[in-house]
Amino acid sequence: MPLEAFTPSQPLTFGVELELQLVSLSDFNLTAASPDLMHLLKRKPFPGNVTPEITESMIEINSSVHTAYEPLLAELLEIRDTLVAASDVLNIGIAGGGTHPFQHWSDQRISAKPRYEYLSQLYGYLAKQFTVFGQHVHIGCANGDDALYLLHALNRYLPHFIALSASSPYVQGHDSLFESARLNSVFAFPMSGRAPFTLTWQEFTDVYFAKMERTNIIKSMKDFYWDLRPKPEYGTIELRVCDTPLTVERAAALAGYLQALCRHLLERKEEAPVEDDYLVYNYNRFQACRFGLDGSITHPKTYENVPMREDILATLEKMLPHAEALGSVEALRHLAAAAHDGSDAAILRRHVEREGSVEGMVNAAIAHFRGGRAA
Amino acid sequence: MPDLLSLLTSLAWPLAIALAWLAGEFGQRWTGLPRISFYGLVGFALGSTQIGALPAPDMGPVSLLANVAFGLILFELGNRINLRWLVNNPWIGVAGLVEAALTFILVYLVATAFGTGRLTALLMAALSMATSPATVVRVVNEQKSSGQMTERVLHLSAQNCVLSVFAFNAIIGIWLFRTYAAVGEALWQSLVMLAGSIVAGAIFGVVTPSLLRAIRNPQQDSTVAFALAVILLVALCDSIGLSPVVAALAFGLTVRYRRVAFTQTQRNFGALGEVLTVLLFVYAASTLDWRLVTAGAALAISVVLVRMFAKVAGVTAFAHLSGVTWRKGALTGLGLAPLAVFVILLLEHARYAGLKVVEELYAMAAVTMLLEVFGPIIIQRALIWAREAPETSHAA
Repeated sequence: MPLEAFTPSQPLTFGVELELQLVSLSDFNLTAASPDLMHLLKRKPFPGNVTPEITESMIEINSSVHTAYEPLLAELLEIRDTLVAASDVLNIGIAGGGTHPFQHWSDQRISAKPRYEYLSQLYGYLAKQFTVFGQHVHIGCANGDDALYLLHALNRYLPHFIALSASSPYVQGHDSLFESARLNSVFAFPMSGRAPFTLTWQEFTDVYFAKMERTNIIKSMKDFYWDLRPKPEYGTIELRVCDTPLTVERAAALAGYLQALCRHLLERKEEAPVEDDYLVYNYNRFQACRFGLDGSITHPKTYENVPMREDILATLEKMLPHAEALGSVEALRHLAAAAHDGSDAAILRRHVEREGSVEGMVNAAIAHFRGGRAA
Repeated sequence: MPDLLSLLTSLAWPLAIALAWLAGEFGQRWTGLPRISFYGLVGFALGSTQIGALPAPDMGPVSLLANVAFGLILFELGNRINLRWLVNNPWIGVAGLVEAALTFILVYLVATAFGTGRLTALLMAALSMATSPATVVRVVNEQKSSGQMTERVLHLSAQNCVLSVFAFNAIIGIWLFRTYAAVGEALWQSLVMLAGSIVAGAIFGVVTPSLLRAIRNPQQDSTVAFALAVILLVALCDSIGLSPVVAALAFGLTVRYRRVAFTQTQRNFGALGEVLTVLLFVYAASTLDWRLVTAGAALAISVVLVRMFAKVAGVTAFAHLSGVTWRKGALTGLGLAPLAVFVILLLEHARYAGLKVVEELYAMAAVTMLLEVFGPIIIQRALIWAREAPETSHAA
């Protein structure tokens, strides 16, 4: 079946998806609580939307489509409060963070949904190892060509989002020394990484997708796990590199930053993206995952090496006029403060040191998600 | 050369444990039923009044080890209890109280209808309120189950144990005073005993994690440290007349609030816990006498049925209010079926405290035997029906 046409949508509208951890309050491990939580949430109206994820110890929430940062943040806060109230009834903790620090992949249960059962069959243990938690941000695009332009123009800024959202330092009980270890799990999938360099929607569908479809490896866009992928049915591009932050405030701020960046890029004042930009792409991505805000970034055009923090702060500054136009100055301020103070990963490491255990860290992550109130 | 008889006698327990373990492994593989059901069957068959391979129960080292095993399980249960949940969602606690009260009333009525003496009927009713935490924790761990039914069964079984220990001691108190005028005094003493046990457990719960922090190695050493502390606590409570059951629960509960969590790899206290669990279930069943079991069979079946009805009805009634489906509520009630080990250890304590009334509780022997074998099967099935455990426990 050929790829569907790109549904036009209002440019720069946006929405957020968050994958969240469901934690047992007795041992702070992940717990297969999504069927019970879904049942409870169905009983009263839920702001936004909530769906089960690949394993039963995860859920995904998504906001509605918004044009501005403030209403998006308000909705995410309302979703957060509804979730927290439900989790109190069921004795579970809900937390952000890109990985659970000590869960064992083999303990996870695949959700009873045909697609997830199929993925489990195909990918074996990789499916259960995919118990990692990310934030996705969708940005509306007027047409497929704009979508592909944005998708490739963003390659230079993608490490910013990895570093600013990084919240997965611990894996299987140990410090991975990565700020975002989650992306290493995503990389194990054969269809992960970057999208092919095509700037027109017609070429993308008629040439690339048509070829891939003939290989029988790919049936739909869902089979790609790219860092940035077009979503033709929504008329958006989807940024998938962010770890789920510890708070919904950070999640909304990241979305606000992406929206401002896209507005800037669509003005097409920057040098257009070319295939060669991707020479430094994987290394920049690695720097962001490994060192986060303390990493460095190699500019794809000039090959200049800049400290990540500096590059982020300079870009945030540059985006201010766009943020003023879009009403998201607060979002940029929030991220500038985060770039100064340190990432969620650094906060989590501090908790491990203070509490003396990874269980104490999960407990703290639950409290962060609740806005500082104890679970 | 030692004579054959004394050699066999000294080998009786090690052989019984090995045999039970094998029966559990093969039985589980062939039938998919929980291992502990097979431990119980082996223990009962080898008991002194059946085949007679095992000596008559006494307060010797095996009994103490069984109590330690039970203490370890209760510590683990206490560690999973979140009291704040019962505040956030009071309907769970209410369901537990209603279900326990209904059980008490119905079992008392059934027992008296069978012509049981008033005091014995009251004791049976008090014991029937309980849910065996040993069976619940073992099956939950064996099935690797998680979800609302699992959480609720664990919390309700802890609540039921405390209620049952309180009621049992209060009734024993009344019996000791020989007059119903002393009800107030008996209740007071039972409350003091409960409070003393909770304080003892709480002190251990504060001191042990502090020591672990001082050693600066809470992750690696916690299993050994907690096991040693439980052994000490159980022995202490045993000798000063406090309830090891309530104390071990309170210990686990306090540790939980000190945030030194019990990690996955330490579930069941590792290999030490596994061995002691086999011993616990073999020992518990070996104390039962087949003559008492058969003598009380008719009453026992009635008690088991009426108890099951009360628990299912009590929990289901509050299912919707407490935030789960009716179906999950009913399955949670069904999951409260296990009873055996708890009752046996409580009765053994009472027996060695010199309370002859225990001998009259012959029907409880039959109830416990029925539930020693069927209790684990019922809760295992209920967890599978609630989709909280995979069909096979071997699935990675």
